[in-house]
Amino acid sequence: MKDIVIHTENLVKTYRRYKKEEGLYGSIASLWKRNYEEKTAVNRVDLSVREGEFIGLIGPNGAGKTTLIKMLTGIIAPTDGEIEVLGYYPNDLRNEFKKQYAVVMGQKSQLFFELTVNDTLRLFKEIYEISEQEFQRNKQYFMKLFGVEELMDVQVRTLSLGERMKMELIVSLLHNPRILFLDEPTIGLDAVAAKQIRSFLKEINEKKGTTILLTSHYMEDIQVLCQRTVVVNHGVKIYDGSTEELFDRYQKNKRIIVSFGKPMRKLLLETQDARLVEDTSYKKVYEVPKESARRLLAEMMKYEPGDIVVEEEEIGVIVERIYQEGSEYLG
Amino acid sequence: MKTQLVWRADVIFNMVFTITRIIFAYLLWEMVFQQKEMVGEFTFHGMMSYYIISSFLSQLEMSEGIGIEIHERIRNGTFSKYLVIPVGVEKYFMAMELGIVLFYVVFDFIAAMVWVFIFRIQFVFTADNGVIVCAVVMAVLGMVFMVQLNYFLGLLTLKYQGIGTFLMIKNNLMALITGTIIPLALFPEGIVKMMRLLPFYYVTYLPAMLLSGKCGEEAWMGLMAIGCWCLAMQFIIHGTWKKYLRKYDGVGI
Repeated sequence: MKDIVIHTENLVKTYRRYKKEEGLYGSIASLWKRNYEEKTAVNRVDLSVREGEFIGLIGPNGAGKTTLIKMLTGIIAPTDGEIEVLGYYPNDLRNEFKKQYAVVMGQKSQLFFELTVNDTLRLFKEIYEISEQEFQRNKQYFMKLFGVEELMDVQVRTLSLGERMKMELIVSLLHNPRILFLDEPTIGLDAVAAKQIRSFLKEINEKKGTTILLTSHYMEDIQVLCQRTVVVNHGVKIYDGSTEELFDRYQKNKRIIVSFGKPMRKLLLETQDARLVEDTSYKKVYEVPKESARRLLAEMMKYEPGDIVVEEEEIGVIVERIYQEGSEYLG
Repeated sequence: MKTQLVWRADVIFNMVFTITRIIFAYLLWEMVFQQKEMVGEFTFHGMMSYYIISSFLSQLEMSEGIGIEIHERIRNGTFSKYLVIPVGVEKYFMAMELGIVLFYVVFDFIAAMVWVFIFRIQFVFTADNGVIVCAVVMAVLGMVFMVQLNYFLGLLTLKYQGIGTFLMIKNNLMALITGTIIPLALFPEGIVKMMRLLPFYYVTYLPAMLLSGKCGEEAWMGLMAIGCWCLAMQFIIHGTWKKYLRKYDGVGI
């Protein structure tokens, strides 16, 4: 049995938010009397993660995913409960702890925009005190893996979003972290770049044994990468178990988007349980039970579509279904 | 291209500002010295030497950006970047400032020297090696103190959200007490005594005076004073960090 690298018990984070009445009166009144409200972003979360696991952390906006990552990396201190990552209390911000993990936040860059990619890597080599030999070995490995050899001498600020995300990952992996925290790493990326990032992450987890905790809005990220998924909503853990089981049990439908090169009238389908949710001359969107998806796709091919996209259900729908059907975490 | 232009303009303007202050001082004091040979303890060339050294030192003091950067990063949540890398945040900013100063020192030195030749100033510079060492160490400690102060003011965002008022007070004090506008030696002795209690006195004013051959008797005491201020500020930063870091929420749930 592998070591537990992350352990939390009854973990709570409550934010204190300042509230102000609208307008000038509200602004003046707030100079004398300030009103605050408390918002519990993470509520009594228990979590144990073993070394080498690839875990998906999903939930709708404001569910508390980012707050949980911020507590696990020491960026913020918990309000209550126990937390231990690699044997450390994260918010002590010890350097020996920080050298063992890495965090990539899709919306907040860790890079230094004025530097070139090579200089950025060199800076991180010094910060993490990586030996020259290990630095060169890792740099070559990741440059090849991510296919970024041509970008090494350009300024970070000139990179595209997809290229920048690759650099974020290289920089975060340069020191061989034991845990990699990823907060929405594929946000804003196009389908090709997102797919590439997913394949790199899979390789890193499998070949280097890096424990990865990934938050994402995209169900595909989770389904492709994570053996285990934790679902949170309103700060509460509502599911913690196998990803396969989560999708088997709670994901009922697929969304099939079909585009045509010529205008099409209403299609007469034999797949009775397919529901047409969007209908234009060039594009039809169907929602279909996942067991009927294959049949619908086969039927669609008869109409010679220009493109077909199959999407998973949105996270919000799954969360709603977990509530409807109940889960052991919901009592 | 835009970034490159901004960067080049930054270097050029930094040099130009060293020059403008000297030109302003030259025109002003040339008129004053037409009436008399000495003002306070200064001859015209002594005064100009003071301005050149003082201007050179104050142009190197560029730590204000640290406070503003920390403030903005705390406000928009990107301060997290410095919390997850294994370096002391203060040390990081100190190293960043050192890099900037080492880069600009060359250009500012060239600018100062050019103006010594253009205005044909008989440059007055102390011959006492002990005083030179004291002045250089004091100027370095003064810059360290300013980095500490700006870092501390930036950290206050954790508690107060806005630090504009603190920065304004600091800037006003700086403008007056660093003696870059008018040498403090021209003020009444009582006021100068009060200013000696503040750290800003030792940031550019005293080192500039020492290097231009004045206030030699204050060298050691000045060094001790700015050293004590640096130490005190470090304790204050440590306390502030420990007390207020828990308030950082990184923005967003």
